[in-house]
Amino acid sequence: MTRIALSRRTLLRSAAAVSIGSLASPAILRSALAAEPDVPICGAWEMTAPGIANTAALCDRGSRLAVETLAKPLGITCSYSTIDTEGDPGKGVRKVAEQINQRGGKFFVGGASSAVALAVSKEVSKSGGIYVTTGGADELTGTECAKSTFRWPVATYGAVEGTVRPLRERLPAAKRWFTITPKYVFGDALLSNTQRVLAETGAEHVGNAYHGLAEREFSGYLTDALAAKPDVLCLHSFSGQTIDVLRQAAEFGLKDKMTILVVWSAGLDQYRAMGAELLDGVYVGAQYWHGVDAPVNRELVTLFRKTFNSPPTYSEVSGYMLARLIMEGAAKAKSNDPAKMIAAMEGLRYEGPTGSEEIRPFDHQCIKDYYLLRGKAPKAMADADDFLEVLASIRAFQDRDKAGCTAI
Amino acid sequence: MQLLVSQLLNGVGLGMIYFLVAVGLTLIFGVMRFVNFAHGVFYLLGAYGVLTLSEHGANFFVAVVGSIALVMIFALVLERGVLSRVYELPPFFHILSTFGVTLMVEEAVRTFWTAAPHRVPTPPGFRGLATLGPFFYPNYRLVVIAIAMVCAVALWVFLERTRYGATIRAGAEHRETVRLLGIDVARLFSFNFVLGAGLAALAGALVSPIRGVDPNMGLEALAIAFVVCVVGGLGSFRGALVAALLVGIMQSLATSLWGSGASLVAYLVMMLVLLVKPQGLFAGPGRSTS
Repeated sequence: MTRIALSRRTLLRSAAAVSIGSLASPAILRSALAAEPDVPICGAWEMTAPGIANTAALCDRGSRLAVETLAKPLGITCSYSTIDTEGDPGKGVRKVAEQINQRGGKFFVGGASSAVALAVSKEVSKSGGIYVTTGGADELTGTECAKSTFRWPVATYGAVEGTVRPLRERLPAAKRWFTITPKYVFGDALLSNTQRVLAETGAEHVGNAYHGLAEREFSGYLTDALAAKPDVLCLHSFSGQTIDVLRQAAEFGLKDKMTILVVWSAGLDQYRAMGAELLDGVYVGAQYWHGVDAPVNRELVTLFRKTFNSPPTYSEVSGYMLARLIMEGAAKAKSNDPAKMIAAMEGLRYEGPTGSEEIRPFDHQCIKDYYLLRGKAPKAMADADDFLEVLASIRAFQDRDKAGCTAI
Repeated sequence: MQLLVSQLLNGVGLGMIYFLVAVGLTLIFGVMRFVNFAHGVFYLLGAYGVLTLSEHGANFFVAVVGSIALVMIFALVLERGVLSRVYELPPFFHILSTFGVTLMVEEAVRTFWTAAPHRVPTPPGFRGLATLGPFFYPNYRLVVIAIAMVCAVALWVFLERTRYGATIRAGAEHRETVRLLGIDVARLFSFNFVLGAGLAALAGALVSPIRGVDPNMGLEALAIAFVVCVVGGLGSFRGALVAALLVGIMQSLATSLWGSGASLVAYLVMMLVLLVKPQGLFAGPGRSTS
């Protein structure tokens, strides 16, 4: 009984002291007392969007882990919250605007969907904040670039250059290519880049089948592909749809009839859902692979194994890196002023999960490796997650004049 | 020609899966006048049941049967414990309660199995392709079509040639008369609800090796089931079969002509039917099941 009374009294005294202190100290004095810049990061992810919710959840988990583990070593204070864009650009913009207007939000990460990322990029740009995205569409750091927007992953241009071109070199006789493409900004960007590379390398694009974002049944599209008799089936689908289309391609015997390339895979979680048997012999493009021999990657693998009892997936590492870039900017600028942080992030060089990485100052695109991998035979796997072997790592980015970014 | 025939075959395969999902919904509405927004949940749980039982070493077809049994038990508990209490309330309460059940089950699935997609391997004896001249089709999909057809015939025989089936049909046309004849309508409703849930679970279980398993699959199935029911006529067995095949074939053919809009074709067909024959293609004045 006595203990409860004392605790309550102590609690009341502490609360009163905090309240009086808060009232007595002006905001400037309080921030001066807190020497570390305060950087509250908001993750605007597609947490409930069909098809990419799982990817978004992993991205979110990665961002949160970065905030929890990096703030102290970087000498900043940082918090993390999540909002759900639902995969809808309109809803995403509205929720981000609420964060900005009602909670003073300035620092955002997110954009597993390119369409959402493009919309949110514009909204954050209007408010003078910072947005670091994982969206793939070229426009994010190209024609639709913004002073406040940064991107960590390689864009669709680099993904196609890093997969289609090296595969053309490896398989020169495979000249007839058929593509299956989701009908939205990301898919169109992959398709136009693939068509360009095929034309440049003397291959024939024998057909394309567009599919909707809600599609889960691909037998019709695969029948179209079979009818075109291609040497290579090139898949531009994303996340859950990639799994479905690849699974059904194998079911229809396409794996035995032609080479299959997945230009943009979503990482380890996707490979687990596909399984080793399905992946065996399939070519895959990837932003990240946990087996890459780079010092920071080794540390990340250790951290994720310790925290989640599993090596990191691309989505987790991507989320982690988006938050890290904002935090690096604050640490380098020694400020939470977005303008100073942007200046600090432009040209930033650091050791990342793919080796040495840097942010181009003229379009805010991170320069990093993109990997061409091939599925291992199940018997050749060293452990349960050893699905792929790295065939090539490529850094391919549009030159300044071709990138089309004029807003920076 | 080969492309056309292949697409028709794809459409039949797709349509038979749609039929399995939709027929349960149409039976439930036909007899009970109950709009069941939780129907997709049975499809979802059927797929997850197979996933879990397969992972625990069960043979695929044993897992299918086990999963259906578990879903039917769940459906019985749900119907007796929750839904039977709202039968007499306005349709708004039917929609609210069943949609609430859907959200709760989906979140439970995300909690227990995570939001990640999972794969269910094709049963070993049914991998590969069946070929006939220039045509070929995956063995497993042929098995799914065959099972769906057997179910359709068995269901038709049950509804048209058995006493209990006659009672269900009578209940669909004149519920009050059936009640006045001393038939236990509550039991009839429960049987009908559980039968519909079992068919949806069968569809989810069979489709799991084709499209994998993920928490969103229930709502996807529910949407297409409603389209099929509206096109065929709510409460019509024959309507569900014809509409499912129609939608499946139209969708499949559309992939070659308008790929990005193929998934919209089902809704376009529904719009057209609503404009021309709002009660559905096969719903007569008394909503006969045949």
